[in-house]
Amino acid sequence: MNELLHLEKIFDRLKRGCHLGPDDEPEFSALSSQRFDEYAAYFAALGLTLVRHEREFFYFEPDNQEDVPITLPRIAVFSYIIIDHAANQGRPIEEFIFGQNFLITALPHFTLDRYTALLRQVDVHNVDDLRILLNRMEQIGWVKIKGLGEDEYRFLRPFHRVFSKCLEVAQSAQAAPPDASQRAAT
Amino acid sequence: MKINPQSFFNFCANHAPLLRALSERGGELSETEVMRLIHANPSAIEELPETARRRLRELQILVPTEPGSELLFMAEPLSRLLTYLFNEANPATPEIIRGYVMSLETTGKQLGRALDEEDVQRVKLAFDEISLTLRRIHADLNETQHAILAEVARYKTERARVSVREKYRLIVHWMERYVEPMIEIVRADGPMRAAFDETERLLYRAREEALFNDHPALVRNLRFLRLVSAHALRVFTQCRKEIQPLFESLRRSSFIAEGAARALEKLQAEGLSKWGNEYLIGVAAFRFQNVPSDMAIALALQRVIEHPPEPPPVLEFAAEKENPGALVRLMWLDSLPDLVRDDLPVEDLMGWLVKKYPERDTSDVLAGFSGLLFHNDFQAAFADEKPRAYNTTDGEIGASPLQLISA
Repeated sequence: MNELLHLEKIFDRLKRGCHLGPDDEPEFSALSSQRFDEYAAYFAALGLTLVRHEREFFYFEPDNQEDVPITLPRIAVFSYIIIDHAANQGRPIEEFIFGQNFLITALPHFTLDRYTALLRQVDVHNVDDLRILLNRMEQIGWVKIKGLGEDEYRFLRPFHRVFSKCLEVAQSAQAAPPDASQRAAT
Repeated sequence: MKINPQSFFNFCANHAPLLRALSERGGELSETEVMRLIHANPSAIEELPETARRRLRELQILVPTEPGSELLFMAEPLSRLLTYLFNEANPATPEIIRGYVMSLETTGKQLGRALDEEDVQRVKLAFDEISLTLRRIHADLNETQHAILAEVARYKTERARVSVREKYRLIVHWMERYVEPMIEIVRADGPMRAAFDETERLLYRAREEALFNDHPALVRNLRFLRLVSAHALRVFTQCRKEIQPLFESLRRSSFIAEGAARALEKLQAEGLSKWGNEYLIGVAAFRFQNVPSDMAIALALQRVIEHPPEPPPVLEFAAEKENPGALVRLMWLDSLPDLVRDDLPVEDLMGWLVKKYPERDTSDVLAGFSGLLFHNDFQAAFADEKPRAYNTTDGEIGASPLQLISA
């Protein structure tokens, strides 16, 4: 039994940017097994880095893309806004994000002028645009829409990649000299 | 001014909600605010608000912050009583506990001197003071634990719109102000333990030297010493255990919120073009370069399918009867350098060509002329003569004579 299980399906999903979490069976169980290193070695031979996130989900390490598709800034702005909103609610952010289902029509993204202006910068103008964005996020395994109520979605574990990015940004800001931003501004 | 206890407690009995509101409000109060609280918390008996306000002052429930001041605050003894009655707690600061420890140390020294001097009266006084201090430490520790646990519960249950970062700052304040410094004081090798050990030694000495005959009091103090010591460490260790997960959770949330806020702030300030990739979360995507699209492939196939059929070309495999003209011409051109080499130097190259090969047409003559002119073995130069006309089979060429010599 040396054959790596579900290899074709795993590769097919990961190569399209998908993240595999507990909602993605049987691929997730295959990668979570003790044979993870074998999968990683297999993909490494193809020049691909299989990442196992500390929160236990899997994805291919992205290239340093020079030509960034517009969906990436859109997803980033969408995600940062929902986090900003969660922080203002006073609840632990992860509990807020993962502890409930969201209604697309009740999202906070167009409740503040500031948020609306930020979204406008990435060409997201209305709820229909948010739906398109969420569909893309479903494709990469960050949210789940299908199978829930109408206009309903929930965040999936791989959304932790956004939290990791936020922590990285906060830490690098703290590591920077305190007056660096002031010097840069002057 | 003496206060009549009967009147005081009667008033308190009829104004419990008001007293609670005043206690919860805490701090300094203006007359306007006092009146607002009176209106919001009417008494159990019919009474004008002004009367209630006046009685609050007369019974010294509210006292001015300083003589003549219009600002008021709740009298400290009553505040403590209400805290006790409403089962609320105020945390003791590390400075308060440190003060108790210092008090124990001072009392211990007094006890030591009294023992040295065999002064029974002062031994008894020191004993009483030690008992009092220990009771206070015990009570304050309990109250602090109570306050911390209440605060933790409030954070967990309160859904008020206080931002995560604000909450984090508050919980850090609790950790840094109360829990951590307290643990420093009460830990096994901390100053409280040292003071307690010294006190215990002196109590034993008092018993051994039979200077203090109230053995039950002595035993009580010794027991209380051990109890308070163990209790203090347990209380604050428990507090830390209670507060630590909340602290960790809020710290993480606070950092996440900070990261998101910084990213949005940068986008807002500098626009998308300067936002850069720093704030993007990369996603793998295979990109194929120079690969025809499905549409292009389909179009190519369609063209092939729709192309009208043509008969395949027929190859003539039989030997040709005549020499191919192009090949003969090429061979003639290739042979020219060898042919002209024998006649070098040639004074008029064009003349040499038309004279030697009169059957050649203008195109062949010019091709031969060019081949020789640019050949590596020869050099050419104009002969400084007037242009001439050269006749070929199909026309006439006008040119100045060109001399050709070996290179």
